[in-house]
Amino acid sequence: MKKLNYKIVLAWVLISILSWSCSDDDIPEAENEEEIITDVTLTFSPTAGGNDITALAQDPDGEGPKELEIAKNIELMANTSYTLTLALENSIAGESITEEVEAESDEHMFFFGWTDGLFSNPTGDGNIGTDQRNDPVNYDDSDENAQPVGLITSWTTGDAGYGTFQVILKHQPGIKSATSTSADGESDVDITWDITIQ
Amino acid sequence: MTLLSKNILVALMLVFSFSVWAQSQNCDNAVEGHLYDYSTGEPLPYGTVQVKGTQKGTTADENGYFKISNICNKEFDLIFSFIGYKEKTHHHDIYHKLPKIYLAPSSFTLESIVVEGESNHGDLESATVSSLSATELEQNKTGSLASLAGNISGVSVIKTGQNIMKPVIHGLFSNRVLIINNGVRHEFQNWGADHAPEIDPSLIESLEVIKGAATVRYGPDALGGVILINPPKMDLFQPLKVETGVTAQSNGRSLEGNVQLNQGFHRTAYMVQSSWLKQGDLSAPNYILTNSGKNEYSAAMGARYDLAKMDFDIYYSHFEQELGILRASVNGNFEDLINSMESIVPPDTKPFDYDINNPKQTVQHDFVKLGGKLNGHDQTLDFQYALQINKRQEYDLRRGTSPSIDLELFSQTLDIDWKHPQIGNWMGSIGLQGLYQDNNNIPGTNTVPFVPNYNVSRLGLYLIESRQISSKDWLEIGTRFDYQYNSIRGREPNNDVYRNEIIYKNGSATVGYRRKIDKNRSFRSNIGTAWRPPNISELYSYGRHQSRIYYGLWRFEYDTQNEIETNSILTEDDKESSSEMGFKWVNSYNWKTSKIDAEITGYINYISNYIYSRPGGITNTVRGAFPYFLFEQTDALFSGIDFSAHFKHNRNWISQFRANYLWAEDLKNDGYLVNIPPPNMAYDLHYSTKKIGPFTGIKSSLKLNYFFKQYRAPRVITAREILEAQENDVTLFAVNNSNFDLMAAPNGYFLIDLAISADYKSFSLLFKVNNLLNNSYRSYTDQLRYFADDMGINFSLGVKYKLQL
Repeated sequence: MKKLNYKIVLAWVLISILSWSCSDDDIPEAENEEEIITDVTLTFSPTAGGNDITALAQDPDGEGPKELEIAKNIELMANTSYTLTLALENSIAGESITEEVEAESDEHMFFFGWTDGLFSNPTGDGNIGTDQRNDPVNYDDSDENAQPVGLITSWTTGDAGYGTFQVILKHQPGIKSATSTSADGESDVDITWDITIQ
Repeated sequence: MTLLSKNILVALMLVFSFSVWAQSQNCDNAVEGHLYDYSTGEPLPYGTVQVKGTQKGTTADENGYFKISNICNKEFDLIFSFIGYKEKTHHHDIYHKLPKIYLAPSSFTLESIVVEGESNHGDLESATVSSLSATELEQNKTGSLASLAGNISGVSVIKTGQNIMKPVIHGLFSNRVLIINNGVRHEFQNWGADHAPEIDPSLIESLEVIKGAATVRYGPDALGGVILINPPKMDLFQPLKVETGVTAQSNGRSLEGNVQLNQGFHRTAYMVQSSWLKQGDLSAPNYILTNSGKNEYSAAMGARYDLAKMDFDIYYSHFEQELGILRASVNGNFEDLINSMESIVPPDTKPFDYDINNPKQTVQHDFVKLGGKLNGHDQTLDFQYALQINKRQEYDLRRGTSPSIDLELFSQTLDIDWKHPQIGNWMGSIGLQGLYQDNNNIPGTNTVPFVPNYNVSRLGLYLIESRQISSKDWLEIGTRFDYQYNSIRGREPNNDVYRNEIIYKNGSATVGYRRKIDKNRSFRSNIGTAWRPPNISELYSYGRHQSRIYYGLWRFEYDTQNEIETNSILTEDDKESSSEMGFKWVNSYNWKTSKIDAEITGYINYISNYIYSRPGGITNTVRGAFPYFLFEQTDALFSGIDFSAHFKHNRNWISQFRANYLWAEDLKNDGYLVNIPPPNMAYDLHYSTKKIGPFTGIKSSLKLNYFFKQYRAPRVITAREILEAQENDVTLFAVNNSNFDLMAAPNGYFLIDLAISADYKSFSLLFKVNNLLNNSYRSYTDQLRYFADDMGINFSLGVKYKLQL
C-alpha cells in the first residue's frame, strides 16, 4: 500500500508543477491594422495642368466614439476637367489602405453620388442605388475581370453650383459583377462632402 | 510557487488521511440496490438477483429494492434478470454502495446498465436536478448540446442560427452556466452569444441539469446552474460491443455517421468513439439560409483500470467544427444593416450549396483527462487532472484571408474530492479545485485583438455536509472559498501595450432542506449565494464585432460633459467593477404515483452588479454610422416557475406536459433585460408498443410546442429611426439611454415534431419530422432573427446497427 501512495504523491507533484509553474507573460504581437480607415483624401488634378485640389475626411479615433469630421470640403472650378484620385489611410497604425484595395480590386468598387447638374460629364446624379449601377460615372481603372474599381475617375464640372458629393467603397467578395450595385456587400467607406463649383 | 507548495501539502494530507483500509475477510459483506425499468425510469418490482457461481440470490420487492447478505468475497459478479428484460452481469465490489440497475426491456434499443453509488451531482442532494430520459436522449442526439438540453423544463437556448446554440438555465447563459463534461469543467471562449460549447451531442450518454446556484460545488461560473454530461461508461466484463449509425436529414441535406466500440475485461475496460457530419445550407420555409453549412468531426477514446479499491481512468477527445454564419447577418455600416433587416428574402441569398464561405468560425477542442478514485470502506477519494486546448478562429467579411479573431485557450484543472467517513450524523465531502488558464491571441489577424492575452489562476476549497434530521427530513450545508488571480496583457488601437493584474477573493454558501412528505410526495428547497468575477472580455473588449461596436467596462469613461471617452484604459482604481453577487432560492415539489409524476419548481434569483451591454449611441466612422454598446453593471432579478407532468394512461400511452415562465427585471433602471427567453408550453403524446409486424420496441411521439411572444422586452428603436435621428442631429440616447432593441420581439409560434423509432433484428431505425407544419417563425433568443426566419420542415432518417460479440 505504501508503495502505491508514494506513486500517487509523485503524480500529484508532477501535475502541480504542470499546473502552476508555467506562468507566462506574453503580450499580443503588434498587428498591422488593415480594417480601420481613419483618413480619406480626394485629390482632383486638373487635366489641363495646374494645382491639385484636395478634400479630406478624418476620424482620428477609428472605432472610438469620436465623430468623423469633414476636414476639408470640395471646391472646384466651373467647366474644368479633373482626374480624381482616392487615397485611404489608417493614421493610427500609419498604414495605407489604398494598396490593400488595389491588391483586391476584384472585390472592391467605389460608387459616387452627387447633386444632379454639378457635372457636365458624367451627367445625372451618380450610380448609388439598387437600380443605378449602369448610370454614368467615368471610371479610369478596372480589375482583372474588366469591372470598374474607381480609385481613379474623370470629371468635368458644369457651371457654378453647390451641392453634395458622396463616395461609397463597397467590399464585395464573390459578389462583384457587371450587375452588382451599391447595395451589395459591406461598406468600407461611406462619406458625403459638401461641394462648391465656382 | 506558494500555490504549488500549498497544493502539494493539501494533496499529501488527503493521501495520508486515506491510508486506513478495511481489512475484513469474513463473510459479512452485503450488497443492496434498486432495479429500474430503463425505458421509463420507474422502479421494476420482483426482478431476480443472483451472485454468479453461487447459490446466493434474491428477488426484489415491489419497489425494486433488493439486499443479499453474508457474502464472503469482497468482489463478485451479480446477474440481474427479469422476464422480458435484457439480462445484465455486473462486477461488484463492497466499496461501491447501492447500485442502481436499469434493466432494458428486451424490445428496447439500449442495453441494461448499472449506475453505482451517487452520480456526479451527489453532493448537492437538495438541489433541483432534472435529467433527460434514455429515449429522449436517443431520439435527439442529432443537433447541438444546447438543443438537447433544451428538452428539459426550465432550460432553453440562445442561438446564432441553427448551428451555434448555447444552453440557458432560468434566463442565464454564457459565463453564468457551467458545463461539466465527463467530470471536468468545459473551458472555452464562453463570452459571446455566438460561441457554442465544443461538445458533440452524439457522444453523450447522460445529461443532467442542476438548476440551483451550484457555485459551492463547482466554482464561480455556476451562478446560473450546471449542465452535467457524461460519455458512455466503461463497464467491466462487457463483451465487445460495436455500434454504428448513419443519419440523413432533408433540411441542409446532411449526412452524419458515428461508430462506437466498447469492451470490458476482468480489471480493464476501454471505449472508442468517432463521429462525422457534413451539412449544407439550411432552409427556412421560403428561402435558403445561405452559408449556414457545417462540418464536424469528433473522436474520443478512454480506458479504465479497476482494482476494486482503486479505479483509474484516462480519456482523450478531439472535436473540430467549421460553421458557416448566415451571409446576410454580417453587414458593413448601418445602411447595409437596414437593407438586410428590411429585406423579406435576406440579401445575397443563393441556391443550395455545401460550401462554407466567410463569415464563418472554425473551432477545435482537445481534452485529456486522468482520473482516479480510491474506495475506502466508508470513504472515497476522487482526483482528476485535465488539460484542454481550445482554438477558435472567426472569419469576417473583410480584406485578406486572415481570421479577425484567432484565439488559443489552454486550461488545466485539478479536482480533488474526499467523501469522508460519517462523523456523528454528518456525511459529506471536502474538495479542492484548481484552474490555470492561458489565453493567447495568435498573431496575423491584421487587427488589434478584441480581447487581450490573459492568464487566470484559481484555487477553490469547499466543504459540503448533509445529515438526516428525522426519518423524513434532511439538511444540507455547504461553504466554499475561492481565490483568483488574473494577469492581463493587451494592445491599444495604436499598438501601445497595456497590462493589469487583478485578484478576486470570495466565499459562497448554501443551505438546503429536503423532506419526504409521504410515499408519493417530496419537497426540496435550496438557498445559495454565488459570485462571478467579471470576464476579461466584459472588462476589456474594444472594437467592432459585426455591425456593432463594443466598449468593455474598463475601455470607456464619461468626461466632464458626460460624453463617452475611450482614450485611456482604466483600472479598478478608476472604475470599480465588482464581481457579480448572486442569491438564488429554488423550491421544488414533486408528486409521484404509479400513474402521475409531476414537479413544480419556483425560483428567485437576485444578482447584484449584473454585467450586461446597453446601447450607448451612434458613432460616425469612415465606413458610415455604427451603434456602440457599453458594458455596464446593474442589479437584476430573475424569478420564475417550471412545471412538468407525466401521465401514464395505460401500458401504451403517456402524456407529458411542460410549461415555463420567467420574469426578469433590471432593478436599477426599472427596465427590461434583453434575451430573456419567453414563456413556453409543450404537450407530448407518446405511444409505445412491444411489437408490430417484424418491428419491435416501437416508440412514437408527437410533440406540440408553443412559444409565446416576449412582451417584457426593451423598447424598439429601429435602425432606420437611429439613422434618421443621426442625419437630423437628434440625440436619441441623451435623454433616455435605457436598453433598446433594433426589432420588436417576434410573435409567438407553434411547432409540431414527430418521431418514430423501432428495432428490426440488430438494426434500430429512427424517423423524425421537425416543424411538421413548415411554419415560418423567428425565435426571440436567436441573434439571426433580425435577418431571416428559422428552419423550415426537416425530415430525418437514422439507421443504427448493433453488434454484441
